[in-house]
Amino acid sequence: MQVENAIQTINLTKTFKSKIQTSETKFYNRTTVSVNAIDNLNLEINKGELFGLLGPNGAGKTTLVKMLCTLLPPDSGTALINGYDIVKEQMKVKRSLGTLFSVGERGFFWRLNGYRNLEFFASIYNVPRPKRQERILEVLKLVGLENSAFELYQKYSGGMKRKLALARTLLPDPPVILLDEPTTGLDVISSRNVREFVKSTVLETGKTVLYTTHYIEEAAQICTRIGILKQGRIVACDTPDALRHKIKNEEIIYLVVEEIVQDQINKISSLRGVIGISERTDQELMPNQKGLCVELESVDQLPSIFDFLFKQKIKLVNFKREEPTLEDAFIELTKRA
Amino acid sequence: MTVLDELEKIWYFMKRDMISFSTYKTNIAILFLTAVFGALSFAYLGSNASMQSVLKLYGESLTTYIIIGLAFSTYLTQSLTLVQKTINPWALEEVLVSPTGLSTFIVGSSIWSFIWSTGTVVIYLVIGVFVFGIPLSINILGTIIVVALGISAFIGFSMIGSGILILTKQGDPVSALITIATSLFGNVLFPPQVLPPLLQTIAYVLPQYYFFKCIRLMLTGSTIQMILPELEILALMCAIIVPLGYAIYAVCLKTARKNGTLSWF
Repeated sequence: MQVENAIQTINLTKTFKSKIQTSETKFYNRTTVSVNAIDNLNLEINKGELFGLLGPNGAGKTTLVKMLCTLLPPDSGTALINGYDIVKEQMKVKRSLGTLFSVGERGFFWRLNGYRNLEFFASIYNVPRPKRQERILEVLKLVGLENSAFELYQKYSGGMKRKLALARTLLPDPPVILLDEPTTGLDVISSRNVREFVKSTVLETGKTVLYTTHYIEEAAQICTRIGILKQGRIVACDTPDALRHKIKNEEIIYLVVEEIVQDQINKISSLRGVIGISERTDQELMPNQKGLCVELESVDQLPSIFDFLFKQKIKLVNFKREEPTLEDAFIELTKRA
Repeated sequence: MTVLDELEKIWYFMKRDMISFSTYKTNIAILFLTAVFGALSFAYLGSNASMQSVLKLYGESLTTYIIIGLAFSTYLTQSLTLVQKTINPWALEEVLVSPTGLSTFIVGSSIWSFIWSTGTVVIYLVIGVFVFGIPLSINILGTIIVVALGISAFIGFSMIGSGILILTKQGDPVSALITIATSLFGNVLFPPQVLPPLLQTIAYVLPQYYFFKCIRLMLTGSTIQMILPELEILALMCAIIVPLGYAIYAVCLKTARKNGTLSWF
């Protein structure tokens, strides 16, 4: 069955030209350099997917979001939002999208309260008049601002402003939502609230979300798939689990054992399926204990290790399977590309 | 910490500001022109020639002339800053991603400013009539037409200035120059006929001159037929300035979008 895409980029390209000073002393010695912000990008995001876009600063995340919401015209290629072309069908694209910019507080009116701000945006986003009030109260409740709806925007905290920006994004009930670094500048609790809210919104309403961030674990927690962007190109794209294992296929287990000698450690390293073994000294252990990191070809080799320990009468105090982190994967994959 | 150290710090403060200031060349030129034209405007305002010229051209006192000039210049001032205020680069991105057109934004964002300006005009005229006893006989239709044309022309200028601002990010030279030109050649505080012939020519190519001439006559008992030649020139100027302003604004906006510098400030 063919899966319909909510977002699809087709050879999308954007190059910026900027002048840089080539002499430390002569400000007029300048040369023009071209930077490929988005480089021939092909990306497909399914309907109902919460897709994370990870990338270091300057990778092109915000540029991509701005192109998808029609703010930046592409140099070549195009993208489809909900089936509409971002170059040829801009108005239809705008009607299908809700966009939260990384600095989402700029368009609000400081002397109006939260409700009145949303009332204004509801009108320009064509929310039908009879449903307007109900919808505003609904989104305010969704983001947890129902009790502060009639407070002046200028009195809102940073977290509340972000939530109101999120409410504005959801106001027209768009099928596709672009969230550009939605938790930047938020405290831990507010960030978690936003993440949980985004995840539940996708699950409950079937919306498609493109979520850009440079917080790796944030993407790992909520996204169904993650794309890693570097210099305008997707260098890896998969589920968080698959990305973790993209850099290392082997299993790493951590063992804490008692009364083991070097000869026994050497014997473990020569067991079938054991790639390597190393002693870890960063954990607090009793004087008769040792912490060992064992790299295995696969988890199937575990019984032979336990069997060896049992036969050698080595007491196993602790055992932990160590997963490669998404951060490891991110650093490795962006380094490789 | 000696006095010399403190003086050195003050020197570096001044040096910092001087270097920053020197990079805004347009602003320096505008400041210079504002001072020169401001001084000239008030010099002409206080001259006997102004009083005689006003009496001869409009048959009214200098007080009536100045009050009408100041009252209706509020419409032009509002119009000149309108596009920049309502479609500023800070809010522009939020506007452009919504399914609402730019023209709706400009019109929608301007309505309250013009209601407020109308209130200001009424206050000026009420004070003029009841405190200074200026005689008014208003042609309402003619006044509305002239105000609409004046506002349109100045929105055109506003679009040119805002477009340049979006691109250069360094001040709006067009609005500044129009403001200076209005004070000296605009027929606001004194008739340009008191200026040397060469400077009078400048007045005749500016819509402000025709706007204020028509509005004065519409408030003092003239009919639309009597101001038709000036009204036609004002309408013609609008027909040129408004599309030109829109085109310049659109090109500058497109360029800034293409370069990705829309929200840079």
